[in-house]
Amino acid sequence: MNRMIRLLAAALFVLIAPVAFAQSETLNDTQIAAIVVAANSVDIDAGKLAEKKSTNKDVQAFARQMVTDHTAVNKQATDLVKKLNVTPQENATSKSLKEGGETNLAKLRKLQGKDFDKAYIDNEVTYHQTVLDAVDKTLIPNAKNAELKNTLVKVRPIFVDHLEHAKQIQASHK
Amino acid sequence: MDRESGSYSWHEARKIVPLLLSIAIVSVSHADEVAGAKHTVVIENMQFQPKVLQVKVGDLIVWKNRDVVPHTVTASSGDTFNSGKIEPDGSWSYRVRKKGTIPYVCTYHPTMAAQIVAK
Repeated sequence: MNRMIRLLAAALFVLIAPVAFAQSETLNDTQIAAIVVAANSVDIDAGKLAEKKSTNKDVQAFARQMVTDHTAVNKQATDLVKKLNVTPQENATSKSLKEGGETNLAKLRKLQGKDFDKAYIDNEVTYHQTVLDAVDKTLIPNAKNAELKNTLVKVRPIFVDHLEHAKQIQASHK
Repeated sequence: MDRESGSYSWHEARKIVPLLLSIAIVSVSHADEVAGAKHTVVIENMQFQPKVLQVKVGDLIVWKNRDVVPHTVTASSGDTFNSGKIEPDGSWSYRVRKKGTIPYVCTYHPTMAAQIVAK
């Protein structure tokens, strides 16, 4: 019984720890910029793969949109970085996003047809929810530079739209 | 003019016709200018603002994209129109041709929907 409780406690910690980390992490603007670029790049890569591999027109259209929109958001971020003359600084969150993106791509590459579509869309729902939470709880509250904060506020509705769009496809393919 | 017959002589007609033509041209160009009111719909924060636009037939609607991503303005039913891609900072306009409610969406972002009510 004690062993069961310890296992449950450990499992709960694994589930809660990343959220707690995201909420309490203090980031500077260059780290936030690196996170924004990493988050967009991860979804662009997944979208490019889905454009090639999926045979479903809804999934293909969604993937194409992810590539277009996240490329536009990344351009906003990189233009601002150039304007402010700062260098994005890699950090635990940006590295974690990239690693998660690579793991997702490796998984998706092994799948075909409906299994691919389901895995891609399921991940898009989770990914956009995670990024949205990070934008609200960590990135916007920590951003010091007014232009960076404004950019984050400006692009936030794009993530909201993508999340709803992904959920619509997820529901229609069940 | 021949006062008894009420008809114009050829000489008089030559004077009057250019005058009538110029009046007609001025009227047409003026009618074109006042064909309808102009309305603006701003596309920002992944929304059409205003979400419901009241217009009259003949009015001009201009959509301005202030988002960082491209959008479309595409009628779902009723009077049909489709802007194609409107780039960031771009705009597209449409003159209302028929009465009725026209729901429209952005085909790239299906959560974006609004409507025109033409009277």
